[in-house]
Amino acid sequence: MSAPTSYEQGNSLWKDARLRLCRNRAAMASLVFLVFMALACFVLPLFPCIANPNAADLSNIAASCSWEHPFGTDQLGRDLLARVLYGGRISLLVGVVATFVAFVIGLCYGLVSGYVGGKTDAVLMRTVDVLFALPFIVLVIVFSLSIEEPCRELTNSVVELTGWSRDSVAPIFGLVPLFIAIGALGWLTLARIVRTRTLEIKSMEYVLAARSLGLGHLNILFRHIAPNLLGTVVVYTTLAVPGIMLTESTLSFIGLGVRPPNSSWGTLIKEGADRMEVSPELLIFPALFFCLTLLALNFLGDGLRDALDPKSAKD
Amino acid sequence: MIKLLLNRLGQGVLVIAVLQTLTFFLVRLLPGNPFLGERKLPEHIMAQLNSLYGLDQSAWVQYANYWKGILLHGDFGPSLVHEGVQVSDLIAQAFPVSLELGVLGMLIAIGLGIPAGMLAAWWRNKWPDALIMAFSMAGICIPAFVIAPLFGLSLGMHIPGLSVAGWDDPLCAVLPSLTLGLVTAASIARLTRGGMAEVLSADFIRTARAKGASAPRILFIHALRSGLLPAVSYLGPAFAALITGSFVVETCFQVPGMGLHFVNATTDRDYFLIQGLVLCYGVLIVIANLSVDLVLVALNPRLRSQGAA
Repeated sequence: MSAPTSYEQGNSLWKDARLRLCRNRAAMASLVFLVFMALACFVLPLFPCIANPNAADLSNIAASCSWEHPFGTDQLGRDLLARVLYGGRISLLVGVVATFVAFVIGLCYGLVSGYVGGKTDAVLMRTVDVLFALPFIVLVIVFSLSIEEPCRELTNSVVELTGWSRDSVAPIFGLVPLFIAIGALGWLTLARIVRTRTLEIKSMEYVLAARSLGLGHLNILFRHIAPNLLGTVVVYTTLAVPGIMLTESTLSFIGLGVRPPNSSWGTLIKEGADRMEVSPELLIFPALFFCLTLLALNFLGDGLRDALDPKSAKD
Repeated sequence: MIKLLLNRLGQGVLVIAVLQTLTFFLVRLLPGNPFLGERKLPEHIMAQLNSLYGLDQSAWVQYANYWKGILLHGDFGPSLVHEGVQVSDLIAQAFPVSLELGVLGMLIAIGLGIPAGMLAAWWRNKWPDALIMAFSMAGICIPAFVIAPLFGLSLGMHIPGLSVAGWDDPLCAVLPSLTLGLVTAASIARLTRGGMAEVLSADFIRTARAKGASAPRILFIHALRSGLLPAVSYLGPAFAALITGSFVVETCFQVPGMGLHFVNATTDRDYFLIQGLVLCYGVLIVIANLSVDLVLVALNPRLRSQGAA
């Protein structure tokens, strides 16, 4: 990438990065697409033009595309467009929240491992090596199912404490096992990257200066080291989202992830795959939304990497 | 070299022990139990079933017994759902199927991915590169569970003899292994392209071109060895992903492999079967990673001195 255009005034790292990102057409198009997708999934269903995704209309089963039902209806006469948008809500929500859980764990783990160093570092990193060799998706399945019971109890206590209606709370809380299981097992790569960067930054003069000024370890870690590795962390967190969404939808597809009354793109693709000989659009529309979102996330992640981490090799 | 091997073997044993312990205790936290059928069983029958399978003992005693069974007798315990069937028999039936599927998928992935990546690197930033990279991006973004039904619909329905479900004749393996292989081929192609592109811009390749070496000679004799490193180091995780990821493909095409058993066993809460299958997955993954490490050392002499340190 070329140098910043203005020479009178220096650019900050973030401004530089923003300029580089804006010049990357694929990444910008992906960003716009993702914003539209998020708006479509989270805001559009609030308007009455989108039907209730669970309202069965038995007089209108497996209809093809029309003005009333732009994507047609499924085997129970439910509007497919509404179902795809509501499914996107769940898929995007799981993608973002589980990534956030992974992000928090990976950041803290990597920071501590790199900063403390020595034996602690060795033990923590060997642990990551061992966890890396475990079959990820198999463990996610077993883990998410086994924390279902505690999560249900959590829902009950929340309902009792707050007095919210169970119907409004239960769908969201039903996703908690997935958030935890995917997040708790998806932080390994991030922890390794954060550790490497922490080791580099730790030996910089400004950290030495901070230490000789008598700052505490926590202060140095979170005020001086963490902000400086934020760029790298943002890149790899973005690149982790498609993988995590893929994990969620794979689980949902085989019936071990998102459960009714919720549905995600994974469950919709499963339903579509079951009846694709009769009405292929039931498979095609959810699959299209899902794949395009993954594509956009990948392009955006690549673009962010080129913008924020120009030294790292492409591919 | 031997030190590296021993080091990795030790780590492998640790991995399997951790995996097995985690699964053992997680599985027992699962809501429900294996004996919940359509009919609710009377209390005393439930108690008898539990004591028959040793499930009434404390978790630690069960844990100790489980290891004792495996290490002393090679006994993985009985299946709790399939009556009178041993877990080891089920695995003995399913393992060859999954292995065949995984190896076929891997061969397709390597056979497609590495040549495609090399072509893309050779014609870097020209149209073949763009075309191959577009395909590989599609392969990364279109998950197996979308490819599988589409294949079934487009190929399976129209090509006679190509079956879309089951595992009775050799042709049954075509669609599942193709689905499995394509997804991995995409990642391998990207990694090969990256590695080869880096090597092809190195000085010694310029020298080789200057002395008039032919294109195949440059690609295969000069560049291949170091250009393949990123792709080869990915093969271990890729094989692990193929083997564990195959349960999507196995579910889609109803292939009676470990994946299908695993999905059913988790739904049925068949404790011993889940544990046995996870153990099997763990051993496979450890072996795959170990062999990839050895290949890497053979390809890259610089690693040999590191491994000894």
